[in-house]
Amino acid sequence: MSAEQVAAAANPRADDVRTLTHQVWTTYLGERVPLLFVEDNTFVPDWSASVTIRGAWDGMVSLETTRAGAQGLTRALLGLDADADDLADSDLVDAVGELVNMLGGNVKGLVPGPSRLSLPLVAAGRFAHGSQQARVVRLCSSWAGEPLDVTVHAGRAKATREHR
Amino acid sequence: MHALIIDDSRAMRMILRRILDELGIGATEAAHGAEALGLLSAGLHPDLCLVDWNMPVMDGCTFVSEVRKVREWRDITLMMVTTESEHSQIVRALAAGAHEYVIKPFTADAIQDKLELLGLVEAGVLS
Repeated sequence: MSAEQVAAAANPRADDVRTLTHQVWTTYLGERVPLLFVEDNTFVPDWSASVTIRGAWDGMVSLETTRAGAQGLTRALLGLDADADDLADSDLVDAVGELVNMLGGNVKGLVPGPSRLSLPLVAAGRFAHGSQQARVVRLCSSWAGEPLDVTVHAGRAKATREHR
Repeated sequence: MHALIIDDSRAMRMILRRILDELGIGATEAAHGAEALGLLSAGLHPDLCLVDWNMPVMDGCTFVSEVRKVREWRDITLMMVTTESEHSQIVRALAAGAHEYVIKPFTADAIQDKLELLGLVEAGVLS
């Protein structure tokens, strides 16, 4: 196996990221509204959240969705009625941040350690990744009719292939 | 029985509080380790602390170490509830003085199983 292949093998596989994403969703958001994985999503995200992993493997895990998607996720996570209309932006930041924290923590368990997980960073709009990073996994999905993308970026030296 | 839930996510604190409610356990909440230490110093003496690892101000492992330094708090059961799943992290938390370790995402049954192991709840409370 070449050094490049060894480095690529360190990156998480799309199937594993899909499995852990499904696990987080069903555990905390229930199975009544399923997370549907789709071939592609074309949307401009209103909310994005990310965590970085630094150590034996360097990378970033992000979650992007629409405002309606973030509101739906927040209501479901907080156990609020679907028509509850009293969500503050701080509620969305908290809920979306916790979801990406769980995704990132579990991705960290898939890659070589030891490494450190950052606190989640939540922002309006699309998330920004470092120029030295490349996308290695992109999962497009739909939840409650809203698009939702989970992406894993890795340091360029370690990102030699993309899984979909 | 009373628990102290320490997590920077309000959503996660609500999820844990709901589970503890079903187990008949009352709970107080703190958003980070320093706030939790403040509550203990002010006289709160929970039977159980559920502790996240990654938090601002003071992380969960530091909180566990600080609690273990105080003789009066040695009877408090400390359970890490965190996304940190690396073996070295688990060893570090247990070495610092945590009794148990639960990895997110967790189910209510997983929390109950751990509390049963610790002798804090009886089997079959959740059904």
